[in-house]
Amino acid sequence: MKATELYHGESHQWIVLGRDPEKPEKIIDTNQYLIKSAEEAIILDPGGIELFSPMLAGILHHVTIDHITTLFASHQDPDIISSLGLWDKTVPNAKLYAPWLWEGFIRHFGMENIQYMPIKDEGGEIRLGHATLKFIPAHYLHSSGNFNVYDPQAKILMSGDIGAALEHGDVPLYVDNFAEHIKYMEYFHKRWMPSNRAKNNWVARVKELEIDMMAPQHGRILKGEMVAEFLEWFAKLDVGIA
Amino acid sequence: MISADQATMAIHNFVRVANIITNLDMILNQAKNLSLTAKNARVVALRAGDVAFGFKPITNFIDEFSTQTIKTTAEISQLSNQLFSLALAVVRCADLQFQLTKANDIANHACISQLQQQSYADLKQKTRALEQAIFSLESYFEDIQKQMRSAEYIAVTSRVEASNAGEFSHSLESVSDFITDSARKIKAAVNENLQEICALRGGLR
Repeated sequence: MKATELYHGESHQWIVLGRDPEKPEKIIDTNQYLIKSAEEAIILDPGGIELFSPMLAGILHHVTIDHITTLFASHQDPDIISSLGLWDKTVPNAKLYAPWLWEGFIRHFGMENIQYMPIKDEGGEIRLGHATLKFIPAHYLHSSGNFNVYDPQAKILMSGDIGAALEHGDVPLYVDNFAEHIKYMEYFHKRWMPSNRAKNNWVARVKELEIDMMAPQHGRILKGEMVAEFLEWFAKLDVGIA
Repeated sequence: MISADQATMAIHNFVRVANIITNLDMILNQAKNLSLTAKNARVVALRAGDVAFGFKPITNFIDEFSTQTIKTTAEISQLSNQLFSLALAVVRCADLQFQLTKANDIANHACISQLQQQSYADLKQKTRALEQAIFSLESYFEDIQKQMRSAEYIAVTSRVEASNAGEFSHSLESVSDFITDSARKIKAAVNENLQEICALRGGLR
């Protein structure tokens, strides 16, 4: 599994793990994010069962196992958190922050040790060392209980399925041409996102944030001006169409 | 450390536990029917009066062993829930072991080796607990086997008594037939479960 550093600040770093060459072909490719401070680390959307071993092997290049204190699941999908039963035995003292709505569902993945920390619909924030991470509501985009993670210091928005693209092969990490990239995102957003109202509400809130990097769970990362281009494109897109 | 085959074996064991529990439902239903039959037979025997004099103590026996079978089955049922949890825990531990072996192949890291050791110890502990539960389960099934042997004996005796019950013979003979049939079904289910237990034992070694 490839690991790339996205941000290196004084207090913490962001690392994206993904594009595993050994990944079974029919499994959708996912980006997992590791944020580490000197004292602790959080994994954002740790991924499915199939990715557990390359993820663990990849993460241990950056942190020790005791360092991992927190997991975050943006929503309940298997590509997000079906590895929970394995993490539960690997980091039994960790906490899992996830939408309150999905607690009873996510526990089906197997959770005897890790503590479930339900995130209220309005969102919230946690501290990671000296960094603050904000849970930004993104309900119905696509899941009915869904959050993004915003880091005001790194100016990174981990946007989950928003901004995701369905591309095959060895895809570059960053979008280099937004207009060219639309064809990989359009169907996904039209089909997976059910609500124009929820979408417009999210766009209005996210426009207020200072974002250098928008990091989705699938596909390439949007940087700089492309974030604004995405928000403009997404605002105009009619979603909820099969 | 365990292989993919051993992880698959853990899943097979889980399926065997599921089979045992399915058979338990059948045993419990048959035992409940036996108990009901004993109560009905007692009423018929009372109505028959002196001609069915020998049948009355038999109905008490039927009621006694069916009640005992229901009690044993209820105890087994409780144990089976524990067995399911333990079998699931073994599957999860085996799965983790398998995943850690894969992780170790990707990155030979001291931390992964340590996790493998911890998880192997956990797997061994869970497997031992499962073996213990299986041992208890086996003795319960052996008890039911004994009860069903008595049931078959009573069925033969009751048939003799039923034949002397005049106009009530037909009703009481059908009670004997029912006991024979239920005992046969319960014995078959218990035998199947004992075979599953035997295979489970082999799978855990």
